Amino acid sequence: MRHESVPMYWRNIPQYYRLVAKRCRQCGAVYFPPALRCRCGSAELEDYDELPHEGRLVEYTVLYQVGTDFLKQKPLIVGLVELNGGVRAVGQIVDAQPDRLAPGTRVELVFRRVAVDGRHGLIMYGYKFRPVQP
Amino acid sequence: MTGVYVVGAALRPAGRHYGENIDDMAAEVLGKALADAGVDIEALFVASSTTELVNRQQILGAYILESLGIDKIPAFRVECGDGSGGAAVTAAYYALASGEYGCVAVVGVDKPNDVLSNQQVDVYAAVMDTYFERYFGFTPLSHAALMAKMYLKRHGYKYEDLAAWAVLMHERGAENPYAYFRRRVKLEDVLSSEYTSEPLRLYDVAPLVDGAAAAVLCRDRRDGPRIMSVAVATNAVPFNMRSEYDTLYSLREAAARAYKAAGISPRDVAAAEVHDSLSIFGVLAVEGLGLAERGGALAALKRGGLRVNMSGGLKARGNALGATGVYQLVEVAWQLVGREFKRADGRYGVVHSMGGVDRTSAVIVVGL
Repeated sequence: MRHESVPMYWRNIPQYYRLVAKRCRQCGAVYFPPALRCRCGSAELEDYDELPHEGRLVEYTVLYQVGTDFLKQKPLIVGLVELNGGVRAVGQIVDAQPDRLAPGTRVELVFRRVAVDGRHGLIMYGYKFRPVQP
Repeated sequence: MTGVYVVGAALRPAGRHYGENIDDMAAEVLGKALADAGVDIEALFVASSTTELVNRQQILGAYILESLGIDKIPAFRVECGDGSGGAAVTAAYYALASGEYGCVAVVGVDKPNDVLSNQQVDVYAAVMDTYFERYFGFTPLSHAALMAKMYLKRHGYKYEDLAAWAVLMHERGAENPYAYFRRRVKLEDVLSSEYTSEPLRLYDVAPLVDGAAAAVLCRDRRDGPRIMSVAVATNAVPFNMRSEYDTLYSLREAAARAYKAAGISPRDVAAAEVHDSLSIFGVLAVEGLGLAERGGALAALKRGGLRVNMSGGLKARGNALGATGVYQLVEVAWQLVGREFKRADGRYGVVHSMGGVDRTSAVIVVGL
């Protein structure tokens, strides 16, 4: 995109940096990205910052057609990851050779640069995943 | 039951229309549809996905009506990403069924070729969750690729089975005067094309095209195919939290409602246009509409038994984003009466218009 919004980036930092989710006080369901109301009907959701930072790859793809912010990074490995405990997240898989990945590969969360706003120089960060070295 | 009829329609060949502004392109096709219908309209519904992102234009309806000199009537814009067309037809249907209007028009238009191809990726990525998907570089293509991989594995198919979709769509597109790609391709062409998001290749991705389509709808004027029912369903579950990846949830819900309201079953469907913005979505849509059993669409394709997307689908006609659903409505209506297309072997047709990666689906049942 031509340029990103600073407040839009800033207000989502808890999710981008630390996977802060919401958990229902009534039934315990976890929502990532955060939701305002639980499927059980309860509106009592609390911040939940204890999502595990390790999990396993469910499936992945290597994406070659990317947007303008990602041209220098292409191709991107995009993976659906099941964190320990069962909550899933989609994230870029980094420090990895695609042909060495497979469903079930153990991955861990890392903190990385996501994109740089070319006009204003804003650097945006967020979580990605990398394979756990055996 | 109120009857809503498609009394006039017009399509613009999909393509790269560098020489025209978006409002004029929509006005031209709307003018033709109005001439075809021979009625005056009381309201206009505009389906457009990218008018702000690409053309920096809002209130597009007012500028379209300005070009035609149609004064005073209301104009509404409906945006559901690449599913805007089906949603706008649904809104127009409700406006007629409410009794408020007797005749309205729906015009769909988008001009993705007004920006460069990598900017098109930025524009199309706006149908993703902007904060938690687009931010990280994900696009409809990346998520379709994940779904394709899981679908193929779960149902025991190879990529070659999926590649047959593009071959079939190009075969159909070759016969459609409004299609962007009017040439046949071989399976080897698909298999040797570059990866876009593995396992998906270039031929699995529908080209974004400039397009405009219009339909004039009237209440209780039995002068054309009838819209039997409409239904829209949204999927409120984010991609990462979905329990199944080999199905289109929003479509299944919308299809069940639309079939029930029309009083027909999938066996009655003789013409269908589905949203194959990515090949796997077309396959899943065939199953979601009940035209093949779950996991059975590619087997049906292999047997040669798939009578969907006689237009060539988004793959060959082109993905005109917000205009796509209006193209599909007109194509199905015309197939039922044998106008521009070979006449369908039956009385009922169905449209599937989808926004994003199974975020919202509209299903429209058309009958004679």
